[in-house]
Amino acid sequence: MKKILTLQEAVADVQDGDTVALGGNVLHRAPMAFVREMARQKKKELKLVKTAGAHDIDLLCALDCVQSVEAGFVSYETKYGLAPHYRKAVESGKVTVNEHACYTVICALRAAAMNVPFMPVKGLCAGDLLVKNDYFVVVEDPFGGEPVTLVKAIVPDVAIIHVHECDQHGNARIYGPRFEDVLMTRAAKKVILTTEQIVPRSRMKLQAEYIDIPGFLVDAIVHVPQGASPCSCYKKYDIDDQALRSYLAMQNRDEIESYLKRYERKDYAGERMAVWV
Amino acid sequence: MRTSYSVSDIMTCALARMLKDGETVFHGVSSHLPMVAIQLAKHMQAPNLVHLNIPGGVNPSSLKKASYSSAGADLVTGAEAYFPLDEVFDLSMRGKLDVAFLGGVQFDVHGNVNASVIGDYRQPKVRLPGGAGSAVLIPTAKKIILWRTKHDKRTFVERVDFVTTRGNLWKIVTPLCIFEFRHGKLHLDSIHPTSSLEEVRANTGFELLYDEIKYTPPPSKRELDVLKKIDPYEYRALEFQLNR
Repeated sequence: MKKILTLQEAVADVQDGDTVALGGNVLHRAPMAFVREMARQKKKELKLVKTAGAHDIDLLCALDCVQSVEAGFVSYETKYGLAPHYRKAVESGKVTVNEHACYTVICALRAAAMNVPFMPVKGLCAGDLLVKNDYFVVVEDPFGGEPVTLVKAIVPDVAIIHVHECDQHGNARIYGPRFEDVLMTRAAKKVILTTEQIVPRSRMKLQAEYIDIPGFLVDAIVHVPQGASPCSCYKKYDIDDQALRSYLAMQNRDEIESYLKRYERKDYAGERMAVWV
Repeated sequence: MRTSYSVSDIMTCALARMLKDGETVFHGVSSHLPMVAIQLAKHMQAPNLVHLNIPGGVNPSSLKKASYSSAGADLVTGAEAYFPLDEVFDLSMRGKLDVAFLGGVQFDVHGNVNASVIGDYRQPKVRLPGGAGSAVLIPTAKKIILWRTKHDKRTFVERVDFVTTRGNLWKIVTPLCIFEFRHGKLHLDSIHPTSSLEEVRANTGFELLYDEIKYTPPPSKRELDVLKKIDPYEYRALEFQLNR
C-alpha cells in the first residue's frame, strides 16, 4: 500500500464527523498545511482534540468545519490575543466546547492508548467543569479511600502530526518539544504525518532509538516543507508574524478563503519535489 | 538618584520574591510575567529553583529568544533536561510540584477562579480561552500563585460567572496589590507603592478584607539590574501592551 500521499489524497481520507487530534501546542508545530486543506475540502462537523490550540482550531471554526472542541485552552498567545473565530463560533452556538483541564485531555488519550473506557484523574475535584461536562464522573474508589474522578477515553479517528523528518515507512523524528504528539499516535485509530522532509530509511536507522513515531503506527505520510507555517517549527522556522497578523485582521469569509488560496502553492510544493525513493 | 520602574517590574519582583530556593516551579502558556519572575528568582534568592514549563525544558538558560511565546522550543534549547507537560502534571498529582503560576479572568472573594466563560457555559456571552491546567493544578500543587494584569470590578467580582476551579490559592498579584487567600477568603496582603487603598477599593467588586495596611516593597536596584539583563526586551510588559 502506498504510504506517501499527496496532501489532497491524505485529507480526503478524513471523514466528516471524525474526531481529529491535532499535534503541536498553541503556535508551535501545528499541522497547518493539513488544517488548511481540510478547510479547502470543506470538512464538516469535525471533533477537534488538543490540549492547547490556537490558529489551527480558529481557522477551522472560521470556515464552519467544526462541531466540537475538546481542549484545555484555545487562544493565540499573549501577543496575538484571543482566537476570534473560535470565540464567535462558540458564542453563536455553532461549536460546542468541551472544556478540559489539559491534563484531562492527556488522561483521556492515555485511556485510548490502553484501550480502556476511562482513566482516573487526580486533581479534578472542584468546580463547575465536573458538573457541566458529562465526560467527567466522580465515583467511589472500589478499593476504599477518597472518591475519584474519571474522564472518558477520547479515541481520535485520526491524529495529524507535523514532524521534522521521516522515512518512506513513516519512522519519524520530532526535534525539540514533542508536546502530546507521541501520545496521540498511540491513541488514534489512524495516524497521518506531514513532514518537513522525507529522508532515506538508512539514515533514520542510524539512530533508530531516537525515533519518536515508529512507521508501523503510521498510515499516511505527506511531504509538506513548511507545513506548520505560519506557526513555528523548531530549528526550521519561527512564526510568520505578518501572516498571523493579516489573518487576525480578517473579518469575513471571502478574506479567509483567499488567505487559504495564498497558501496553495506552498502547501502542494512537497508533491512536486519527489525526493523519496 | 530616583530609580524608575514600571508596574510590570513591581509585579515581576513580587512574583519572584514568593519563590524559595530548591522549589519546583511551573508556568504555562501566555505567561511571560511568571516566566521572567522565575528567572529573576533564580538570579536572586533561589539559584537552585527548578523551572518547569509546557515545552519541557528544565531550567532554560535564557529567555532572550522567547519573544512572543512562553511555551516555545527556546525554553528547551538551552535547558538542562527534557521533562514534558504530561510529566509536569504527573509530578503535581504526586504532590511534588511546589509552585504553579496560573491565570484567570474573574475572581471572587471566596477564591473561585473563572477562565472559561462570561455568561452561560453552553451559550456564553464571551468564550474565554479556558483554564488550561488550572482545574487540576490548583488542587494539587503545594502553592498556587495567580496573576492578572487587569484589576477592575469586572475582574474582582462579587460572584464569578463560572467556577473553572477553586480553593488552595495562595496569592494573587495584580497591577494594584497582592491578595492572600486565608481561611477561605481573599485578604488584601499589600498595596503596590504605585497604588493606594482608595484605588484598590474603587476597582474591586467585593468588600476588602484586611488587618493592617502594608505596602509591596518597590523593586530594588539589584532586581532591576538583573531584570535588564535577563529580560532586555521586556517580555514582562507584553500583557500590558495588549491591555491598552
